Amino acid sequence: MSTKKKAAKTSKSARKPKGGAMRSTRAAMSVATSARSTVKERVAAMAEAPLAVCESDKDLQAMLNVLRNKEEPVEVRLAAMDSLATAAFSVIKFESCRNDYIATLREVAQDPDPKIRESALGLLAGEKDGFAQKKLLEGLQNREKALVPPEKALQLLSYDVHAEAYSVARDIVEKPPNADAKREALRLLAADATSAPLFEKLLRDKDELREIRQISASALHGLNPGKLQRHAREMLLDNSEYDDIQATCLTALTQFGDDEAVGKDEALLKSVDRFSAGKTSSKYKQSARRFLSKYGR
Amino acid sequence: MNVELQINNSISPSARFVTWAPSPCRIRVTNPSGATAPIVNVQITGVSVASGGAVVFRGNTTGAFSNSLTVPVPINGTSVPFFVAGRFGRPSVNNGDVRIEARNGTTLVGSVSVMVRVRKNAEALTPGERDRFVAAFAQLNNQGAGRFADFRSMHTNVSSPQAHGAPGFLPWHRAYLLDLERELQAIDPSVALPYWRFDQPAPKLFTLDFFGVSGPNGTIQFSNTNPLQFWVTDGVQGINRGPRNNWNPATQPGPTVITEAQTLLLGTQYPAFSGMEGNPHGTAHTRWNGFIRQIGTAAKDPLFFLLHCNVDRLWAKWQRQNGRFDPAHAASFDSNPGNPIGHNLVDTMWPWNGITGGTRPPTAPGGAMASSPCVSAPGPQPRVRSSLDYQGSVNALSREGFDYDDVRFA
Repeated sequence: MSTKKKAAKTSKSARKPKGGAMRSTRAAMSVATSARSTVKERVAAMAEAPLAVCESDKDLQAMLNVLRNKEEPVEVRLAAMDSLATAAFSVIKFESCRNDYIATLREVAQDPDPKIRESALGLLAGEKDGFAQKKLLEGLQNREKALVPPEKALQLLSYDVHAEAYSVARDIVEKPPNADAKREALRLLAADATSAPLFEKLLRDKDELREIRQISASALHGLNPGKLQRHAREMLLDNSEYDDIQATCLTALTQFGDDEAVGKDEALLKSVDRFSAGKTSSKYKQSARRFLSKYGR
Repeated sequence: MNVELQINNSISPSARFVTWAPSPCRIRVTNPSGATAPIVNVQITGVSVASGGAVVFRGNTTGAFSNSLTVPVPINGTSVPFFVAGRFGRPSVNNGDVRIEARNGTTLVGSVSVMVRVRKNAEALTPGERDRFVAAFAQLNNQGAGRFADFRSMHTNVSSPQAHGAPGFLPWHRAYLLDLERELQAIDPSVALPYWRFDQPAPKLFTLDFFGVSGPNGTIQFSNTNPLQFWVTDGVQGINRGPRNNWNPATQPGPTVITEAQTLLLGTQYPAFSGMEGNPHGTAHTRWNGFIRQIGTAAKDPLFFLLHCNVDRLWAKWQRQNGRFDPAHAASFDSNPGNPIGHNLVDTMWPWNGITGGTRPPTAPGGAMASSPCVSAPGPQPRVRSSLDYQGSVNALSREGFDYDDVRFA
């Protein structure tokens, strides 16, 4: 058989069979790493048998090379990263590859393509990787060195919060480059015990964005649940408070409140009764009725 | 005359939950006044509320189920056994929405309310079921310091070899889900773990009122009435989860995730089927950015448990399709002599066995498997083999007390 005919036969056998059946992992790997296949074919093949990359060092290196290769289409490189991340779930088989995998992720974390950078940094952050954490912090302190936008850097740093990140996050809350960055900075600061007063202030600030106040309620629940309960009660008694924030307060009291104290709190129960009868949305009314029924009203 | 109905052989109301697998029950006369013979015939039937669950009965461990059962019961107080099961396709919606009635002639002599509690597609939950489930989950996590913290500590990079990359992957996660579900049921006994069909769009699951909607930065947003808005893990507020590559999980199935039909065709022998650890399991994880994308952080996202519930359902469905419940049947498992510790049928599973050090992780968070008021299996220290016969179809004592809405008992 001529070489040309042999290649054609290989390609045909590697093609995805019809009828839902799966092709062999060998055939899928062949398509996945072949520049002769289309982008769509390669992406599909990479997803089909992700554990195949663990079957031999050659296969792993081939997949890592696809990920590293800046000449490859970005979709294919991202699919290679997904395939490797999926294989990483199969720890025992993947263990021998792990060092090469992490080294490659660190390399492509500084790739010219922003999607590749962000995806690689996401995986490294999940591994609590010191290299990635350093790069993310550097980028927040010096925007010229930023590999990802500040909101993404803060989000990824929150996987393994270190004290250095708190001061950067506080600065961003003070002077946020955008609304997303402020939200992510606050989510990260929820792990900082000294930030409870900040969350109390934001929660009670009616001029603050509703989502920021919702995050503050949640953060305060984690840091000092007793304080959240007190604020939630006061905010439910406040007729000038916004309905949606009152709904958050009601949820906090319903789920995490001191049942005995709440059940005896006539002022609170009356206020929730008014809330349920007011001009608020049907969903909030339902939530209020559920609260009242919990206490026999 | 009065009779006592014992569901799951217990008088406790906390044991009044059934699945498709038959629950052993007993009936006995507690007040014989009015009886004229030493043995009375009592007819047992199930009465369902609209849209509620339905039950069926049989008198023995084998045989067909029927909608009612007549049991001869001695008036001297001796118990008589019978079996009750949920009628396939008619799960409950609320706790106690099926009443089992016992009648002597036309006279009602006893009744108990039960729930046909099975794991359902998250898309099929009523708003009430959804709200009870998220409330229980939020309470289990409470401030990130509740009992849920143990479940996160059980699924880490360090402990991963106990649970991944070898034949014990499916049994370990079955035990893990069961342990979590029992903890949720300790908070609210009417909840069962739902599953996320990652090969289908999930327009109800990915909403503000259920498991949230991904914001532009991949942070999940919840409605003001959703208790999951208070989700905190490791001190950090919220959940990171963003679909990759412009995928919309509410309108599209997971991209490149193989379908249920393809999964069930992976092979009729366990070694072939367990390749599903890669695709669909791993692929369903890595369609996302955020916590769920990696082993060490996946359990910080409650969606992880719904994803795994579907993985487990697929295994259950494959077991039913191919008759693979019996650990003694070679095709039911991969008993390769080279399997690592924790991946052999006879091995106890970490962390429930409490063993640390050596080939096991350095700590064993969470203690023993949570017990159930309904069943005794798998016991405090489950073995790999315990997970296979979860319906008790090989040995009735192996029944673990859960079922899936679309996987029959027999």
